[in-house]
Amino acid sequence: MALKTLQGGGYGRRGLLKTGAALGAAGLAGPVWGADTVPVKIGQIDSTTGNFAVLGQSQIKGAALAAHELNAAGGILGRPVQVLVEDDAGSPATGIDKAGRLLHQENVDFFIGTVSSAVSLSLSQFAEAHGKVFVCSGGHVDKLTGAGCNWATFRVCSTTWILTDGDSKTLYDKFGKKWYFLTTDYAFGHSEQADYTKQVTGYGGTILGGALVPVGTSDFSSYLIQAKAAGPDVLCLLLAGDDQINAMKQITQFGLNKSMAVAGALFELEQIAALPEAARYGVWTFEWYWNQPGVPHVAEFVKRYNTMYPGLYPSQRSWFGYVSVHALALAAKAANSVDSVKVAKAMEGLVLPPEIALQPGKPMFRAEDHQLLLGMFPGEVNQTGTYPHLMTIYDYVPGASIALSPSETGCTITYPS
Amino acid sequence: MLLDIIFNAFNGLIAGSFYALMAIGLSLILGLNGVINFAHGGFMALAAYLAFTLVPYVGFWGALVIAPLLTGGVGYIVEQLVVKRLYLRDPLYSLLATFGLALIIQDMLRTIWGAQGLPLAIPDFLNQPLSSTYFFVTGYRLFVMVLAVVSTAGLFAALRFTRLGVRIRAGNKDLETISAVGVNILLLRSANFMLGIVFAGLAGVLAAGQLGLTPTMGDQLIMPSFVAIVVGGVGSLLGSLLGGLIIGVASGITTAFYPAGSEVVIYLIMGVMLIARPRGLLGQEGLFE
Repeated sequence: MALKTLQGGGYGRRGLLKTGAALGAAGLAGPVWGADTVPVKIGQIDSTTGNFAVLGQSQIKGAALAAHELNAAGGILGRPVQVLVEDDAGSPATGIDKAGRLLHQENVDFFIGTVSSAVSLSLSQFAEAHGKVFVCSGGHVDKLTGAGCNWATFRVCSTTWILTDGDSKTLYDKFGKKWYFLTTDYAFGHSEQADYTKQVTGYGGTILGGALVPVGTSDFSSYLIQAKAAGPDVLCLLLAGDDQINAMKQITQFGLNKSMAVAGALFELEQIAALPEAARYGVWTFEWYWNQPGVPHVAEFVKRYNTMYPGLYPSQRSWFGYVSVHALALAAKAANSVDSVKVAKAMEGLVLPPEIALQPGKPMFRAEDHQLLLGMFPGEVNQTGTYPHLMTIYDYVPGASIALSPSETGCTITYPS
Repeated sequence: MLLDIIFNAFNGLIAGSFYALMAIGLSLILGLNGVINFAHGGFMALAAYLAFTLVPYVGFWGALVIAPLLTGGVGYIVEQLVVKRLYLRDPLYSLLATFGLALIIQDMLRTIWGAQGLPLAIPDFLNQPLSSTYFFVTGYRLFVMVLAVVSTAGLFAALRFTRLGVRIRAGNKDLETISAVGVNILLLRSANFMLGIVFAGLAGVLAAGQLGLTPTMGDQLIMPSFVAIVVGGVGSLLGSLLGGLIIGVASGITTAFYPAGSEVVIYLIMGVMLIARPRGLLGQEGLFE
């Protein structure tokens, strides 16, 4: 049943464009805009095809909901909000190509989006070079708000450091000292593995080794033979998108999860939904979860999402997209301008209000590195749960308590003179 | 270390038998229809998705039979509408047409079933390792290997002993002559295309049982099959089988020494083969030299 509802949510580029147009029209039906009112345009670069398509589409849905709400409430500075979506297909080259088109043909004011860290890094440079604020919704690589940071780039999702620090101690204490990594072979995986290695060796653990797996690998059997030969306590999966699903399935088929603990940092609602029951297990970190009893505004948000996308529940990706658009609106309002430099300065230190934060803590965009200090939701997969009840959350860890201090990130922000 | 190599070689053999199964359908179509079928991966994925829809009604075994046949039917329609019209043209036309078809099928799958990965349930008794030492030999992978061997043997027998088979083989050698002796070669080519697609469908359903379904699943599986054909020899079914096994084992053994090279090695083998023996191991002379 769960899968049926999810399938209903999948749609291609045309479907998205249609939805976008319909939402725009629906938004316009609320307040009456002047005939010559120029919309505030947000270019969203996200995957609607390829390895990250499912995650990208959730971010697009979240952003569309935010734009819909903003338009119903008067838009940004009295102007309607328009989110223009382009597909990066998980490739930095395609992403930059599309960003150029949005900038030169559509004159977008800001950029949001990206799932793949590789695309995030490229788009960050592009945004800085063209003087436009880019709110990275979903690329986790440390460098983006670390050594490679710039004034134009802000990030909603966590760094890989926050992500790995969210559960590394728990995994170490619970499962053991000897670790082996299966790591996706691009910026995101490298960054995660470096962070875990630093944390685990810091606790006194040993890294037995690891294999770098190309993006888009479907057969993991040879890598799993290496992992088994190494004999670790913890087999740490640092894979992304559909690769994670394939690896989990084969680990289950080979029975490896019986002889070693399988865990890792990033796991997503969309991925768990795609796994057969036997392959649903492990301790992971979520960056947001739809079920937070007693936390104000969350249930209403879930309900609004359900209304707009029947049968679907918001995932952390939906929340990333939602926050990206709202954060821009809040900063533009504070700056009373859509000029990127002014908006960027207003976004520094911006604390998300509870109806947008949708969690117990008070996430803030840190001025020193432009990273949102969001909380982590470590938990365990519900093996027998049905969509959307797929996780049991143990805890809420405020982001500020585990993030690297600004001096440790290696980031220095310089504005154009 | 030795055990590690043996493990990886054996594991490669399992993967290779699967490449072989995919390559055979591709090879059939390339041989008689003269079409480099880029949509092969698309048809594999289509069969897998049809199986996903059928499993609740007819079970895994029913779906394993029905989905490839249905896909074969779709293949027939596609052949009649598109591929058939391009037989007399330069092979580039059919290559481009099937490439376009591959994209159409992929987007169609995404529209109907969604971009979300889906699991294909396989019987529980197949879904576990046979022993804890040889943990990578699951019942299912063994089943796939056996099925690859049996269906290939079946195909060889059919080509050897049935009238249709004899005509397909004769057509491979000299299409004009068998046309001159009264064989309807258009019908023969349609039947052959359909047969190739049925094999693609079978491989697709089997792949989904292990890897699950995504609209792009065909893309990931199709490249090794092309390599298997080139290595084994264009036009030779036995060569395709051999090619699949060779690249599977080579890739497996490489993993034991240098995991990052496990993908490159199959293209290296192809490169060496193209330089040293362009027709492939068992290929007919003249197609590529």
